[in-house]
Amino acid sequence: MMQSVCVRASALQLPPINSHSSRNAAMADSFAIDAQNLSYSVVSRQGKLLPILKDCSLQVPSGQFWMLLGPNGCGKSTLLKILAGLLSPDDGFLYVERPRSFVYQNPDHQVVMPTVEADVAFGLGKLNLTPNEIKTRVAKALDAVGMYEYLKKPVHTLSGGQKQRVATAGALAEACKVLLLDELTTFLDETDQIGVIKAMRNSMDTSQGITALWVTHRLEELEFADGAVYMEDGRIVRQGDATSIRKFIEDKLASYVNQINL
Amino acid sequence: MYANFLHNYPTLTPTLSSIHAFTSKNHFTPNLRTEPLFLHLQPKKSRIIINCAANSDGVKGAVNWAEILEKWSPKNFLGADKLFRAISGATSSPIAQYIPAPFTFVHSVDPRIKLAWLFTLVILPAKSNLVMRLSLVAYLAILSILVQPAQVWKDQLGRVTLLSGILFIMLGLSTDSAPSLISSRAPPHSMMGLPSFPASLEGYKYVVLKLGPLQLTRKGLSTATTSACLTFTIFQSASVFLSTTTPEQIAFALRWFISPLANLGVPVAEVILTLLLSLRFINLVFDEVRNVALGIVSRRINWQQMTMLETIDVFFTYIRRIFRNIFVHAEQISQAMIVRGFRGDSTTHKIFLSADSSSGVADYISISCLFGLIALVTLPKYLIQ
Repeated sequence: MMQSVCVRASALQLPPINSHSSRNAAMADSFAIDAQNLSYSVVSRQGKLLPILKDCSLQVPSGQFWMLLGPNGCGKSTLLKILAGLLSPDDGFLYVERPRSFVYQNPDHQVVMPTVEADVAFGLGKLNLTPNEIKTRVAKALDAVGMYEYLKKPVHTLSGGQKQRVATAGALAEACKVLLLDELTTFLDETDQIGVIKAMRNSMDTSQGITALWVTHRLEELEFADGAVYMEDGRIVRQGDATSIRKFIEDKLASYVNQINL
Repeated sequence: MYANFLHNYPTLTPTLSSIHAFTSKNHFTPNLRTEPLFLHLQPKKSRIIINCAANSDGVKGAVNWAEILEKWSPKNFLGADKLFRAISGATSSPIAQYIPAPFTFVHSVDPRIKLAWLFTLVILPAKSNLVMRLSLVAYLAILSILVQPAQVWKDQLGRVTLLSGILFIMLGLSTDSAPSLISSRAPPHSMMGLPSFPASLEGYKYVVLKLGPLQLTRKGLSTATTSACLTFTIFQSASVFLSTTTPEQIAFALRWFISPLANLGVPVAEVILTLLLSLRFINLVFDEVRNVALGIVSRRINWQQMTMLETIDVFFTYIRRIFRNIFVHAEQISQAMIVRGFRGDSTTHKIFLSADSSSGVADYISISCLFGLIALVTLPKYLIQ
């Protein structure tokens, strides 16, 4: 097992390809997320054991923005929920830097308070802050996602993308070390997709030491990432920098298309 | 949301098709009659055996319940099609909601003062005289016209006025309207040799208005105005309050008022958290009701061909689906609360309620008006005594 870790760790120290990874190259030696040989299974209605995750290992360096890709039903969301502590793995070793925060795919599941300001402040309730501190943090987080002018708006009047940004701001306000984001852009249109991901990238660039793992289907979002992990059928097939993963997936697609054409 | 529609599909269609399948199976009987062995091979189709036995015995008028039911039950029951369409096109927030713009004088008043106003306006109409009641109604109407956007107050005032109008007419004419049929036991004044009561010098009349067999008396007028004005002020003041106060401000004001009760063991923090969560949840529920209706409408069900039972079946599926979705939602929100650091103790998990009123001037004016109003209503009684 130690060997496999070494191999992966050395694989990560590829020459930096985009600017983002060079910025964080110095921090790449410490991992914010470190999972080894995770496995997770559920018992189906017929009493059969269905493995969802099979021997998954991944590491995400501190301060980087990583993406988790893979076809539908390959276990991305389950893996993310395990990393968030919502599910506990059957087997394996897991380390995730604290505090960590999880943002749902559907913002309606995340936003719990009726007005934007109160919702962003909800996660701060446990931290024992003064009202002024809370106010500054909320304002900062909303500003980072470009939603400051919506401070007093009722949540149900917002669009899907705006709700998603409010949910992200709630996670940012908590000043978490690790953000786990589950397909935030699923319900959004083209402009909102780019808006949310840019807001995420900006807020990561402005505040130091945040690590994010972003689950997605869309290859074009890889452009904003430092690194990526590709999953298939409950296994992690490949992990590395964003460009190489993108190339890997595109090659895979091309070979598949060729196969069909034959 | 859309995933829910997709899940809807398998639950809806099989129920419908199974009913159709059942009705059509009855025509299969001849085949089975010629091959009795077949029945033993497939014991699952026992329902059809019974049918075939009845038919082969030649019993006339073998009751085909399914057909009879189909024949006699009304088609397009309750106009289900229109109903679902209406639900799916309804607004997601039928209850008055906060309107941030235009920002008015009432918006800037401290929510605690607004809540005090609300209580006062609910209590006062019952305690005051006719003129006071009517002026309160007029005041509220003018206030809502000033504060709310045109389409909101037109809609709201129209509905509330209609309701109070109906109440006024019904109560005014029904209270004390029909004179008692039993005659008085005392002899008439003329027989006693006494003059009848002189007419009031100030023009006082007990019967205000006569409408054929009905009459509007002083008592009826008093009851009718009290209840109509009370209805009007309750609905209208709540509407104005809700449209100018954010849910957080409402929670803040309520917390301020009930916080002394914490000494008596009332779980104030939990009450406030529950209030806030339910204020958020109301809209989710309405959304769910609308979306599931939309899911049914988009399935292009041919309502004309459906029997009453089938339509009722769809309605039950609809209600079941709504409840299931709402419970799923509640579960997900509770999970989100846990993810976001809530550990089940609402006293330690502080909820930030910003309620900073920008101008103190508005507060002072508003609170002095409130005391003025209370004085105006209550003082005359003491002065007269």
